[in-house]
Amino acid sequence: MAALAAAIAIGLAALGAGIGNGMIVSKTVEGIARQPELRGPLQGTMFIGVALVEAIPIIAAVIAFMAIFM
Amino acid sequence: MSEYDLMVRRQRKWMLYLLAIFVVGVGFTSYTRIFYGLLLGTTVSFYNLWLLQHKTKAFGKAVAEQGKARGGLGTFSRLAAAVLAVLIALRFEETFHIIAVVIGIVTSYFVLALDGIVQFITHSKKKQNIPNDN
Repeated sequence: MAALAAAIAIGLAALGAGIGNGMIVSKTVEGIARQPELRGPLQGTMFIGVALVEAIPIIAAVIAFMAIFM
Repeated sequence: MSEYDLMVRRQRKWMLYLLAIFVVGVGFTSYTRIFYGLLLGTTVSFYNLWLLQHKTKAFGKAVAEQGKARGGLGTFSRLAAAVLAVLIALRFEETFHIIAVVIGIVTSYFVLALDGIVQFITHSKKKQNIPNDN
């Protein structure tokens, strides 16, 4: 059961992060391609967005491994 | 220096301050297991932060110069680094406190969020202080 719990936790978290990151990155690429002079601010916004989106799957992976090995 | 580089430098500075505090905690308090855990987690978190900063910069440069994205953002590497820290903490449970390691892993996200909030407040205050010409 622990392995199943870990698989569900990592799988759902990765699904959410994938969709979120994809949306952030696609819009940033569009923005930079349209206005290359705005690269700095767009990069900063993308960086904060990606980091905050990725926090949840990282915590999910940690909890999943704790569920398996503890 | 660009706005992005300034942000990166600020975040690295705060992470190094935190690491220094944890080293002092290991050396001078009796909660060595907790501070070792925090140190391990924060080190991995710092690596994750550096990797994301590096990859984001390379990504932006590639898009601006070539018009298309090259390579990823290193999501899997960051997940693997966090899992490695947890496995080390579980293997050497007598040295590292597992909850402290988990708290250490999310340190960079707190730093990032707090830095963003502080910058937002500072910028809005600066905008209010600029006299309006109209």
